[in-house]
Amino acid sequence: MKKAIALTLAGAMALSLAACGGSASVAASESTAQSGAAESTATGAIEDVTLTMWGAEEDQDLLRQISDKFIEENKDKVNLTINIGVQSESECKDTVLNDPEAAADVYAFADDQLNQLVAAGALQEIPAEMNLEDVKTRNSPASVDAATIDGKLYAYPLTADNGYFMFYDSSFYTEEDVKSLDTMLEKAAAAGKKVSMDLANGWYLYSFYAGAGLELGLNEDGVTNFCNWNEAPGADVTQAIIDIAKNPGFVSLKDESFTGELKAGNLVAGVNGTWRANDAAEVWGDNYAACKLPTYTLNGEQVQMASFSGFKLIGVNRHSKNVGWAMMLADYVTNEENETLRFEMRGQGPSNLKALENAASPALTAVVAQSEFASLQRVGNNFWTPAESLGSILAKGNAEGKDTQALVDEAVAGITAPVA
Amino acid sequence: MAKTAVRLDSGEKGFFGSFGEAFVKGDIFTKLSFVIWGLGYIGHGQLMKALLVTFVQGLGLYFLATSGIQSLMKFGTLGTVKMESTFDFATMKNVVNNYDNSFSILLLSVVSIIVIVAMVAAGMMVVASNYDLQKIRAQGKKTNTFLQDVNVYLNEKFYVTLLTLPVLGVVIFTIVPLFILIAVAFTNYDQQHMPPSDLFTWVGFANFLTLFGGGGLTATFGYSFRKVLTWTLVWAFFATFTTFFGGVLLAMFINDKKTKLPKLWRTLFMVSIAVPQFVTLLLVRNFFSDTGIFNTMMANCGVTGLLRNMGLIHTTYIPFLTDPGWAKFTIIMINIWIGVPYQMLIATGVLMNIPADMLEAAKIDGANPVQMFFRITLPYLLNVQGPALVTDFVKNINNFNVIYLLTQDVFATHDQALAASNAKEVDLLVTWLFRLTQEYYNYKMAAVIGIMVFIVCAVFTVVSFRFINKREATFS
Repeated sequence: MKKAIALTLAGAMALSLAACGGSASVAASESTAQSGAAESTATGAIEDVTLTMWGAEEDQDLLRQISDKFIEENKDKVNLTINIGVQSESECKDTVLNDPEAAADVYAFADDQLNQLVAAGALQEIPAEMNLEDVKTRNSPASVDAATIDGKLYAYPLTADNGYFMFYDSSFYTEEDVKSLDTMLEKAAAAGKKVSMDLANGWYLYSFYAGAGLELGLNEDGVTNFCNWNEAPGADVTQAIIDIAKNPGFVSLKDESFTGELKAGNLVAGVNGTWRANDAAEVWGDNYAACKLPTYTLNGEQVQMASFSGFKLIGVNRHSKNVGWAMMLADYVTNEENETLRFEMRGQGPSNLKALENAASPALTAVVAQSEFASLQRVGNNFWTPAESLGSILAKGNAEGKDTQALVDEAVAGITAPVA
Repeated sequence: MAKTAVRLDSGEKGFFGSFGEAFVKGDIFTKLSFVIWGLGYIGHGQLMKALLVTFVQGLGLYFLATSGIQSLMKFGTLGTVKMESTFDFATMKNVVNNYDNSFSILLLSVVSIIVIVAMVAAGMMVVASNYDLQKIRAQGKKTNTFLQDVNVYLNEKFYVTLLTLPVLGVVIFTIVPLFILIAVAFTNYDQQHMPPSDLFTWVGFANFLTLFGGGGLTATFGYSFRKVLTWTLVWAFFATFTTFFGGVLLAMFINDKKTKLPKLWRTLFMVSIAVPQFVTLLLVRNFFSDTGIFNTMMANCGVTGLLRNMGLIHTTYIPFLTDPGWAKFTIIMINIWIGVPYQMLIATGVLMNIPADMLEAAKIDGANPVQMFFRITLPYLLNVQGPALVTDFVKNINNFNVIYLLTQDVFATHDQALAASNAKEVDLLVTWLFRLTQEYYNYKMAAVIGIMVFIVCAVFTVVSFRFINKREATFS
């Protein structure tokens, strides 16, 4: 009896070891060469196809609805099962790149992740025979550009309003006020209120440097950056940002804190994106308004703030076993009818030109107005941490009093560093 | 997997000696058993055992033939054929070439090497055991039947039966991943070389050079490594000793005869253990954020203004978790709060074991409480808890939870050189490693850092246990 217990214990120990140490992810290499030819659809038998689609948590109902329609429309050709999973679009690549073979067949992501996903071979290039021309013509040219690398389309444009712009309380500011950041800060400071923008974030920080005509982008290798923020007038831009950060009418808020401060009634305006539009509309009610970004003062002159444009895309996993049907589904999710439905249910601005004609909201108008000063977000991974570091120093008003030229020099060194 | 076939002691001559003798002096069956394990047992009349060992050998050979050898042949390059896929409109599927997956080549190669070593060792044992059987038969005695053999493993050699599963578990789930981790440190497995779409290959000591700041790609990696390592050690020291002394003091206060309701106090401090640590940490992170409740309280009662007048802060709030210096301070303080109850529990137990007559005698001799603490209680505690302190220190070197949960998404580095290699002032080696793999897919540098963590922990443990052992010898 004792021995039996001892044996069981030994077994349990081995099992628990298994549970703790199971870190080796076994990536099975299969030679999938034969998988294609084996089944043929020509025989007339209806094939069973299971697809998995990932989308944002708030989009689950919408995606289910669209999937059910898709299944219904194709039931004479294929026996489809579509599983829908939750995956935030802004962090999609983190999950996909961990194991591309285990990722969903179809997934939604923000366009800044396109490069890395393509570089990792996780996206299927859309071939000409799969409705390519229609996808290219029915969507806005900027959104198609956002999904294209080297002339090849790697994803289906889904929304066109993923960039940032200015929200404001129209009972506090006039339309004239919001043209200049100086005026806005002055009025806010006088009333003891704040204008918010997250300076400690490369995504927003870019706005000032790009507005001054400085450049940031991706090298041809697809992973390292070029950046000339340390050339003139980079140091002056840095000083301008420090001045803004020190202004009593300004506060640098992280996205998570934005809504809280908004509801507490401390904010009269803020730079943010459509994902906070509902919160702003809720707090300010009918006075909620949106516009393009204002100008800021650089060496005594007014400079228009630039921005990153942003798009949401739907991609198809290259490792999918049913890549054809996955492409058909992605195509269907992004067609006019379903983008209109998305705008109605979720308020997301369509990339589809016809759907866009019928969609209207303050946020969308602001995005369109800002689009003139917006550029595609094509930056490598090395941009973010150095820019965040620079931004957080500036957001605290450069407390240590570092030389502005040295600040940008060091940031550029980090941003343009080779990928280790 | 060949371990189950291990049987019979090989005597005093040592493993290789007894194998050599067996192979030279053995009969034809003994010799043949090195090639096909079962032949010897058939020749020596143990059919059941012959079947079993041949089956195990067959499994091993089958693995090697189907995938092991293929991988081993590519081990030198880790694969040469990149994945390519073309869409076939007729079947609606991708046609994929027969590509190499560097990671599975590495994995299968490591497994194959282990299998080959195990099989050779097992083969040698089989020969030795067959020689023993041969000798028994030469003396005209009977060899064990299968049932008798099974009985041996349930009685005299029960430990072998017991240890087989745990040993297998350790090999599969600890040794294999460890070898793979070490191997990855010598490759260029990173974002630009990610299987299955891309290949990675051997780069020698290049990653170690990068880490120590020589050549390499990111010039600041060496700088970051030094900074992170320093903070890791400082943190481990403070985290270990503050909680230890905090726990001891708390336990002494509660144990003191003058303290009323000791059970109530003890229970109150234990409550913080009942809440899962990560929940506490995430909540505390919000309390201490720049716009959090704690800052509002500090501003309302004028502490923020006071600190600003003293020049300790330059902001309108106290940057508890956003300024490098403050963040380090706050993290250690929060760690005291969540770590002390555990130490209090342990210390309570140890304190109760201090011989009461010793303290009594000291009191009669006129020692004051401070003297008693430093001369009796503390040496006693250190003697008993020394090894536990060492493990605590190592645990704190790898204390991922506290650092990561308190600073992730909140803390942005102010050191631009650190930022260039994705490190932060408050990072421990493990949290840096985690960020490198999870956000930057820099597996090669993560593997190198992993090896460094191992070395740091190993060196520290060995040195301190030597020290403790010596002290213990002189103490008693």
